[in-house]
This record gives sequence, C-alpha cells and structure tokens, in this order.
Amino acid sequence: MTAPATYLDPVLLARIGDLALLARMVVDGFMHGMHRSRRVGLSLDFAEHRAYQPGDDIRRIDWRVYGRTDRFYVKEYEADTNAAVTFALDASASMDFGSGPVTKFTYGRMLVAALAWLSQRQGDRVGLVTFAGDLVEIVPPSTRHLRLILHTLGRAKPGGAGQLRPMLERAASLTTRTGVTVVVSDCYEDPIAVQKGVGSLRGRGHDVILFHLLDPAERDLPGDGAATFEDAESGERLPLRPESLREKYRAQVAGHRAELARLLAQNGSDYVGLTTDQPLDVALHAYLEQRLATSRVR
Amino acid sequence: MGLGFLVPAFLAGLAALLVPIVLHLRHRERDQPRRFPSLMFLRRIPIRTASRRRITDWLLLLLRATAVALLVAAFARPFLGNTVTESRSTPARAVVLLLDRSLSMSHTAVWPVAVDSARRIIAGLAPTDRIAVVLFDDEAEVAQPLSGDHGAALAAVNAARPSSRGTRYASALRAARQILGGARELVGEILVVTDMQRSGLAGLAGLELPADLGVRAVPVAPDLRPNAAVVGADVQRLSDGDRSRLLVAARVLSRDLKAPRRVRLALAVNGREAAAREVTLPANGVTTVTFDGVPMAAARARATIALPADALVADDTLHLAIPAEDALQVLVIAASGARLEETLFLERALAIGREPRFVVQRRSGAPLTTAALRNIAVVFLVDVPVPAGSGGAALQAWVEAGGGLVEAAGRRLGARPPAAAFLPGTIRGSVERMDDRGGAFGEISLDHAVFAPFRGGGAAALGAARFLSYPRVEPAAGAEVIARFDDGAPALVEKLQGGGRAFLLAAPLDAVTGDFPLQPAYLPFLRRLAIYASGHEARPSWNTSGESGLIPNSVRDPVVSTPSGALLRPGADSSRRALALREAGFYDVYEGRASGEPLESFAVNAPAAESDLTPADPRELLLGVRRGDSAQTVSAVPPAPLEREGRQRLWRLLLVAALLVLLVESVIANRGWRGTAETGRIPPPERSLS
Repeated sequence: MTAPATYLDPVLLARIGDLALLARMVVDGFMHGMHRSRRVGLSLDFAEHRAYQPGDDIRRIDWRVYGRTDRFYVKEYEADTNAAVTFALDASASMDFGSGPVTKFTYGRMLVAALAWLSQRQGDRVGLVTFAGDLVEIVPPSTRHLRLILHTLGRAKPGGAGQLRPMLERAASLTTRTGVTVVVSDCYEDPIAVQKGVGSLRGRGHDVILFHLLDPAERDLPGDGAATFEDAESGERLPLRPESLREKYRAQVAGHRAELARLLAQNGSDYVGLTTDQPLDVALHAYLEQRLATSRVR
Repeated sequence: MGLGFLVPAFLAGLAALLVPIVLHLRHRERDQPRRFPSLMFLRRIPIRTASRRRITDWLLLLLRATAVALLVAAFARPFLGNTVTESRSTPARAVVLLLDRSLSMSHTAVWPVAVDSARRIIAGLAPTDRIAVVLFDDEAEVAQPLSGDHGAALAAVNAARPSSRGTRYASALRAARQILGGARELVGEILVVTDMQRSGLAGLAGLELPADLGVRAVPVAPDLRPNAAVVGADVQRLSDGDRSRLLVAARVLSRDLKAPRRVRLALAVNGREAAAREVTLPANGVTTVTFDGVPMAAARARATIALPADALVADDTLHLAIPAEDALQVLVIAASGARLEETLFLERALAIGREPRFVVQRRSGAPLTTAALRNIAVVFLVDVPVPAGSGGAALQAWVEAGGGLVEAAGRRLGARPPAAAFLPGTIRGSVERMDDRGGAFGEISLDHAVFAPFRGGGAAALGAARFLSYPRVEPAAGAEVIARFDDGAPALVEKLQGGGRAFLLAAPLDAVTGDFPLQPAYLPFLRRLAIYASGHEARPSWNTSGESGLIPNSVRDPVVSTPSGALLRPGADSSRRALALREAGFYDVYEGRASGEPLESFAVNAPAAESDLTPADPRELLLGVRRGDSAQTVSAVPPAPLEREGRQRLWRLLLVAALLVLLVESVIANRGWRGTAETGRIPPPERSLS
C-alpha cells in the first residue's frame, strides 16, 4: 500500500486530471493519518429558526411557527450551520508560474479541490469564486455544488491582471450569510490593501483563511547571469542580474509575508504561507485548525 | 616588402566592427525574457542601469570583431609588394596636352585662362616627365612632339592662337592616343585644356582609348558666356535689266544674354555699308533680320553682315561671296521648217526658274559656227542631226572644250538616223508603242546627277510619262545608259567628250508622240539635264572654315590671297585645284599675280555651332569613349603571373583564419560560460518548508 504521504505530494497529484479523485485521495490520505475526532464531527441539535428564503426546502418549514406567526420559518440545526465555505481562487496570470512541474495555479486548484472535498465531508456548504481582474466564475455555496466546483476548477485558466482587494470586496457582497471564506492567492498586492479586502469579508461576518501561495523561485530568486525579467501580468521588462539582488529580494519577500501575517492577524484572520513544493497536508492541517478554532468560538 | 590592397575601398567595411559590439551590448534585449510572476519586489530594489550595458563577454566580442576584420581584409585583396623598389622606379609620365584653339576659345574671358592653365601644367611636370602639345579645333595639329623638352612645349603654347574653326574632341583624342602609342613604357595621361563646348562632343562615340590611360579635362571657361553671332543669311539677287537688287535676310543667334539687347546690324557690300537695321535680340534665340533691297551691278560682289563686337569677336561678322549674275546661254537648234510648237515646251521649261537662269536662243536652218557657240553653255539639237561639215566640227570642238550637247531625237531622226562620231549612240529606226498605249521610262539611274530631283520617291513622276513612238538607240562604246524605256531600249545615253558631255535623248520632248511635256517631271528633268550638261556648279554664298573651295578651271595660274593677307599658289598641275579654306574672311583668286580684280572669291565663316557656347560636363568627354585593353604598364618590368598570384593569395589565408575564428566563437558561445547566463527555465531551489 502506498504511503499516505504520497497522496499529498503536489508533484504526483498534479498528474491526476480528475479533480474529484484527486480531492478524495488527498482527504483520504490526510485522514488516514488522523484519528477520527468529535471535534470535526457533526451536530444535529436544533439551533434556531430562520426566515424562509427562496430555494429552501419547503419540507423544512416549521408549520407550527407558521401557525402562530403566519410567517415561514425553517428550522436550522447545528449541522447546517457548520459553515458556508466559499473558496476564492486567484486566477490571475501571475498564478500561472512554476519553476517546477507544479504551477501556483495548479497547486491552488488542487488545494481548493481538497479543501472543498474535506468541507463537504464535514457537512459544509461549499462555493467557489475565481477571480483575476474581475470575478470569473461564481458557484454559490451549497451542499450539492461540490461536483460543480470541481468541474469549474477543472476548466479554469489563469490569465489577466489580478486585483485582490476589489475582488474580495465583491466576493463579500455576493451573500449576506456568514461563512468561511478561503482565499488562495499569491498576494502580489500591498499588504494594507489585502488587509482591507479581507476586512470587508470580516465585516460581513466571514471567517477568512488566506493561503498565500508562492513558488520557490519567487521566494529565492535563483539563477546567475544577466537576464531580462518580464512581469507575467503587465509585460513590463527589467534587465538585471539576479545574483546581485537575491538577498535584498528575499528580504523583500519575507517582509511581505510577515506583514501580511501580522495585518491579517489584526483582522482576526488566518494567514497560511505555502510554497508549491510543500505537501498539501500542511494546508489541510492549517484549515482544520482554523475550523476547529472557529467552532470553539461558536 | 610592403603590404598593399588591390581593392582598398573594401576597408571601409571595417566600420562593421561596430556591429558585434552593438549586438553584444544589445544581447540581452534579444534574449527570451524570463517570465516572472511579478516585478513588484524587484522594482523596489535600486538597480544600477550602467551595469546592464557593461560588456561582459570580452573574449566573444574580441573573436567576433577579429572575424569581421579578417573578412574585410580578405575582401580588400591584400598583396605583398616591393614598395621600396617601386618607389625608386616610379615611372615617368607621358603627358599629352591638348589645347583647344577653336573659335569659341577666342572669347576674351577664355583664351588667356587657357594659356595660363597650359603653362601651369607644363610647369608642374616632373623633370623626368615627357610632354607633347597638340593644338586642336576640328583638326589636331601636333605643335610639339612627345619629348622631355618642357621649354619647347611652353613655346608651342605661347605661339598658339585661336583659329576660326569648330571643335572636335575626337580628333584631338585620336592624335593623343597615337602619340602615347609610341610611349608604352610611360604612364600616359591626356590633359584637355578646353572650354568644354558641347558641340565639340560629336564624334566621340566609338573612339577607343586604353583603359589605364588617364584623361582629364581642364575647363577654362565660365559657365555662362553671353554671345551674339551672325550665323547665316539668305541671299537673293533680283535682276532688273542690267542692274539687279540684292535681298539679304540675316540670322542672328543670341545665347545667355542677361537681358534682351538692342543692336545695330550692318550690311556692307564691297566694303561699303549698304544697309543697316536696329534689332532687339532676345536673351536666347534666333532672330531673322531682313535688309532692304540693295541695288548693285550684275558683277560679282563681296558682302559682310556685322554685329557690334562682343567678347567673342570672330563670329560677329558673316562673310558672303555673291556671284555675278548667273545666266546660262542655251542654244536650241530645230530643224528647218519645224514648227514653233515643236520646241515650245522645251524653251518655256528652260525659261522658268533661277539659279541658274537660262537664256534660250533658237536657231533653225542657219549654219552653226564657232562664233555662234561662244558663251553658249548647252546646245539642244531638237530632232535634227549633228550638222555636217564645218558646223559639225565646230560643235565637236566646242563640246570637247567643255560644252554640253543634248541630241533630242524624234520622229525625223528615227526615219533618217544621223551619223556623228561624238554622239553617245546611234539611232536604229523607231519603236512604235501605239499598240500597247505607249511606252514609259523603265530603269533609271537615280544616283546620276540628272535624276537628282527624283530621288526619294520622285521617280514615279517620271514613270507617268507615255511615249507612243521613240527612236531606237544603240549606245556607242564608252557611253553610259542612264535611263531606259520599259522595253529596255535606251532612253538617255551620256558620253564624255573631252571636257564636255554629250547626251542622246530618245524620249520625245514634244507633245505629239507622247505626253512628257504635260507631266510634272518634265520641267525639273530638263533643267537638271541642262545644268548638268553645261557643267555649271552652284556656288554657296559662303563656305565653312575647314572646307575646301574649288578654283575654276579657267584660272590657269591661280594665286590666292587669304584673309590674313598671305598669298598661296595652289598646285598648277591639277585641273581642279582644291583650296583649303582655313580662316574666316575672303579668299581671293587671281590669275598670275595678286593684283587687279580677283577672278573668284570665297567667303569663309566659322561653323554656326561654334557660336553656341553652351558648356558640357567634363565627364561627358569620355561618355561615348570605349576603354579598351590596357596599353600601358606601370612598371618597366612587370611581375610574372605566378609571382603576382603569389603576392595576392593572402586573402585566402585571411578567409580561412576568419572561418576558424568564427568556429571558435561558436564553440565558446554555445558551450562556454555563456551557459551561466542561460535564459531558460529557472532552476528549482532546494525544497524547503517555509
């Protein structure tokens, strides 16, 4: 039997074209090394009544309340309120970069698929938003939308210039319901702007986890000799010698990541820095940790 | 042993050395750029721009520049030569100085400059150089043969004077080529001191000069030379009894005048001004000026048409020789009892026209004497035989002395053929062409002077005449048939008799046995026949300098006075003595000695084209000249072909060296340290967990 960690190696996973299979393998592999625990279990206890909304199953209308108030209410149980998890995947051109076989976008897509699968298993409603300069694909959160999400992820293509802050703000305005928003992006934006974008989600009651994806080459700036660097999104070119700038560059990247972590922590959001050479369990662990913390708060 | 280049112009290709440098510096611009997610962090780091332009691969740059330099040097064809030896044995030059002395050079602003230029050329020669001086106009005259005597050359230049003749560069270049052909061991050079008159370029096409013969023009004239000249005139004498009137219309050429100029044009006859006109000459153009009729005697006269003198004096005066009133006496002898109508058409045809004018006398039945033939130019025997006895002898003597006889045979002679030894043929009966609607002229010698008016398609007019009956002529020995009927029978036969000409004409001249008098060809045919038979030659009013004039045979011991006052005595043994007319002005011909009235005068003027001073570009001098194989060798002892080839094979070595350098460059560029600057995929770093 193959070691469970094998299922989490992004290089191997990238060879799997079926995202559903991939997500299941990731989650199963991940779960294989963990004890089942109540902390991630479900609750069917009654939680509250909620006003009926179009689309709700009419069988869940509490007719007794209707008899008393002449209004439609549905019963919500603890299990239903686990969360509406919306995954926001950055599909800008900068994500289409990989110094190895796995680009950031591929990694992000696998990550979202695995997290969506995991969330679905935990009873969450899952939705998807992909964005670059604008919102590209929108899949509203639903317990039945996992397949749609995986299908949407499968045909998503990175391209265009990314704008993280306005996209987060627009994603926040898509629903009035609170939930969990998982942002997967390379965050090439000023940390303050990212904080404000995340803040708009937080302002609407969302819990936010930001997965900051980087390619190892983005982090380390390898290579020697003169070369011309071209910005993947703007096309701007910059002739330089990487070896002479490497240390300063690394310091810039590290500072950026630290600043993002600090500012998001101030917002009460989670920041998870990832590189595409890391196994997916790092992200899954971080996700579950955050979900656990959220449930404890709740 | 020194290094030289056969094609040094290729060395300009060394500028291509900049190409590898520029390419080197721009190398990064041409590289495939390295795609990176974002330059956000890189932009925040200050980068020294200067460092991007620094040359980093010195060895590659050096190799590429070396390859370019070697290629350029190879194409320049380097050779090894013994420069020390060559400098010692620098060959002397053979310079042919062509000094233009045509009429246009007599311009006051040109000739002194030309002489000064020629003197400077001579003064600038090396002591070992040899020089020849050729003076040319439309002919070339070697004033100083090729020699090292520079003083003699200078004297030849000092003695040169402008002539009255036109310009022909071709004759001068031919003379120079001939001179240099005898000095092949020297470096030949031709220097042409000239005003570069465009009209002188004619005749250059087809001239061949050796390829290594240097030809250099030394223009000495300003670009613009205003000039006015009398270039021609129409002269007509109108007879009025013993007196006559002279009508003259002059053509005045004006070129490059700053503004229209008002001038006085004067006509002088026999040295006295006879008429004058004030005219305004345009800046450029030809003006025709007609003078009032000038009364004058019937005798010969000399006239000049003169403009006020300008910078080019020689063409301001046109000289004219007006011949005495010219009338040829024609004696028409008809048969006794012949009706007037038989000779009517002939007499009327001869009476029409001028230059020359014919004065016709008709005789019928009277005996022919020597006295009657005095002053007669042509005798027409109209259907009468040559008189027998003394009359015939007188006629024969007259013909042999230069007279012209035309025996116009008709029906009478066809019936009674005459017998005369000096006639060009014998009549053997008649040919009746009534049945086939008349005969016509058949084969005609159009190149004969008699038929000159019918050349160029005019023969059809002759063919229109129909002859119902004509005598059958049998040409005599020595006679020439110059026209035949369409049945092959001779129609016109000519025979030279001493100094005169005798014709036998079988075509009837009356309108009884044919319609020839009614045809348009009748008049010109008869006039040309009479003129030719008389030996009359029309004299032009003037000749162009360089032409020849013919002294009349009547002058037995000619003495000629030239315009410059010199006396010439042409050869007395020639019956038609040619007189070379070199100068502009009047040549007077005297008998025995130059005194009294001249028997003949020739007016000579410069060619009209010489008055057009439009200059040509000096490069046009050799436009039509073919450059043939080298006739000169630079060094006295030329190297052998193998040795020469050996000295020039350096280019092959350079080419091989360039290829080797390029090969090394390719290896280094592809395998060397350029690999450290590869622009491909970014190598992945060591895996690490952040």
